[in-house]
Amino acid sequence: MSVRNSSARTSSARSNPTNSRSSRQRTVFTILVLFAVIAVFLVRLVDIQVVQADSLTKDSVGNRSVGQVVYGSRGEIIDADGVVLAATVMRYNITMSPVNATPFKRTVDGKTIEISVADAAAEIGAVTGQTGDAILQTIGAALTANAEANFAYIAQKVDVDVLRAVQDLHIPWTYSENSPSRVYPNGAVAGNMLGYLSGEGVPQAGLESGQDACLASTDGSETYEKGADGVRIPGSSVTSTAATDGGDVVTTIDSDLNWFVQQTLAARAQETGAAWATAVVQDAKTGKLLAVADYPSVDPNNVGGTENPDDRGSRAFTQSFEPGSTFKALTAASVLDAGAATLETGIVAPYRYLPANGANINDSHSHPDQNMTMTGVLIDSSNTGMSKFGEMLTDQQRYDYMKAFGVGTPTETGFPREDGGILHPFDEWDNQTNYATMFGQGLTTTALQVASIYQTIANDGVRMPVQLVAGCRQADGTMTNVPDQVGTRVLSEKAANETSDVLEMVYQKSWVHSKWNIPGYRVAAKTGTAQMPDGQGGYSDGYLVSVSGYAPADDPQYVVSVSIADPVKLNTSAAPAPVFQEIMSQVLKKYRAVPSGATAPDLPSTW
Amino acid sequence: MSDNLARVSFSIEREPVEAPARRGFRLVSAAPNRRARPRIFYALTAVAGMAAIILAQLLLSVGISQGAYEISSLQSSRSELGRTAASVSEDLVRLSSPQSLASNAEGLGMVSNANPVFLRLSDGAVLGAPASASGSQAGAASLVPNALLAGSTPLSALPDDAARTGGTVAITSAPIVPAGLAAPTTR
Repeated sequence: MSVRNSSARTSSARSNPTNSRSSRQRTVFTILVLFAVIAVFLVRLVDIQVVQADSLTKDSVGNRSVGQVVYGSRGEIIDADGVVLAATVMRYNITMSPVNATPFKRTVDGKTIEISVADAAAEIGAVTGQTGDAILQTIGAALTANAEANFAYIAQKVDVDVLRAVQDLHIPWTYSENSPSRVYPNGAVAGNMLGYLSGEGVPQAGLESGQDACLASTDGSETYEKGADGVRIPGSSVTSTAATDGGDVVTTIDSDLNWFVQQTLAARAQETGAAWATAVVQDAKTGKLLAVADYPSVDPNNVGGTENPDDRGSRAFTQSFEPGSTFKALTAASVLDAGAATLETGIVAPYRYLPANGANINDSHSHPDQNMTMTGVLIDSSNTGMSKFGEMLTDQQRYDYMKAFGVGTPTETGFPREDGGILHPFDEWDNQTNYATMFGQGLTTTALQVASIYQTIANDGVRMPVQLVAGCRQADGTMTNVPDQVGTRVLSEKAANETSDVLEMVYQKSWVHSKWNIPGYRVAAKTGTAQMPDGQGGYSDGYLVSVSGYAPADDPQYVVSVSIADPVKLNTSAAPAPVFQEIMSQVLKKYRAVPSGATAPDLPSTW
Repeated sequence: MSDNLARVSFSIEREPVEAPARRGFRLVSAAPNRRARPRIFYALTAVAGMAAIILAQLLLSVGISQGAYEISSLQSSRSELGRTAASVSEDLVRLSSPQSLASNAEGLGMVSNANPVFLRLSDGAVLGAPASASGSQAGAASLVPNALLAGSTPLSALPDDAARTGGTVAITSAPIVPAGLAAPTTR
């Protein structure tokens, strides 16, 4: 059929020569037109793809494809109960295009009114807390610097309420950008340890700096194509690099307790006119720090509010001082552990003692020769009596005990710039230092190291590593960087318990007993009053007064160490004693440490 | 198939009318006219099909774009809600800070008793020495600053009507204890 059909058509064409010619002309014309069109396309193609390629690509990127930073969240710092001490929040920068800052029209209640730049600036200022003139000046300054200026900040790091209020103004030349920042919801609570970030987000101090490897996050990015109205074009390609969040630093701190300790310490320090003060609460069995307070301290939300840069860290970690008489507990424990003396051993303590090596020791107050046991020496805090016991050991023995107690080396907390104190090798001690080191002069310790000495005595002679960070909690809940928790035996259990009994006697018989008395509980504690260096190799008029101790003494659970530097209105141990009492009572109450009701030991103090 | 039908109908209609010798030429010239109808039908089918495809494509693309707008608006409302949630939980955490709790508790007249006393249930022994609370430690002034709390009002200092809208329950009388427990001496 088709064959017949086509042959019919052909024969019909042949039969008409005029038809055939016009058909050929049509074909030629069509081909020419086709070629002409193709040629136009080709020229245009080359023009677009090759000649103008660069400029077109450049133009297109801004219009079509948007790249966005996907912020990774810096990890939180949390306390032992999960209370957030430092968190990352999103803040916003309000920006504008000065060159486009022109009057615009706004429809209010169906009427269109024109808003001048000054009116708009005043509206923004009312929200951001600036004056309209200040914003006009920003615009002017940006345009003076560059007549085509397309970017300037109006306000930085504002919260979402301000952002929304500015957005509701619908001013066409204002924009916003994300700016992750850090908040410390509890303010100055543990602010001494947390540290802070610079405006650019660089860690400056404390745990923020020391634990940065755990906390740090990495930002990701996302690029996609959008239409003129800003909506993503369906099916357009998305390239994204995932952001990774930082891990959370879990501390051993109890934020509520830390607040109480800071409040109590600050009140007493202000009352006594102290230069600075620290307080440490440590778990006697695990070595975990429950609270570390400093006065003066810093609110990491407002670092500039603390004027002296030295007050922005934690002196408990970074400032070593001569501990004074609280150190006598260490000497007593060493003597008992080495077996050089017992609790019954008696010595004669004069007011002034001139040992054979040429040293010159005297007590703080004049008194006749006294027949004392170790208990009596510690109750009276006699330097001469302590010297008589101390010289029962060789210098090397005492040095080795000090090292074992952690004196002279920074503790295990890993806190940035932690001080290890000064402990010269025993063969470099001069005659006076030989004896001074028995009662806590001629060497320096931090408040943390003093607490650790008492922790060792309280924990039956086993020193636990001082712990501030329990670990780094990753996103999947696993804990990494968990510190080593193996204790080291420094004293025999017997020597530790005997020292503890002596310290309990000190608590009961001390002249500050009424100031540190906690009814119902057995407590072991010792005061210290040490002269402070004047910074020129001598001693100043100021004293560093301190109290260290633990409770309940029959089953020690908590160590508290309070140090107050240069309390000009009351430069005795009566300054820190009430702080010790308040803090220890709060600790015992908070952690439900039930008093046993057992009677305290009664040791002879004289012979 | 329609081809066959057409031919049959042609032969039925035309054969008696046309001369048998001219059948071939007549046939050819007549055939295009006859077949024009089926070709238009094809063309229409094809055009309709294309139109349908184009329409479907158009609707599909409109649908996808609509979806894109919906996704975009849902995403933006999600991010707005996320901002609200973050801002509200920030407020909560700030109000839960020890400074805020302490000032509110003191505003309500609460005092801290630092003197712990325990009652042992097994033998009824009182452990510790009972004493009345000596008042809040360090007074009401917070010595532990928190810049985040600047300008916030203690909840207890809010006006009465604001407190009532919170749905407080008025306690009209102390609970009656039949056995008559000794009244505590703490203030």
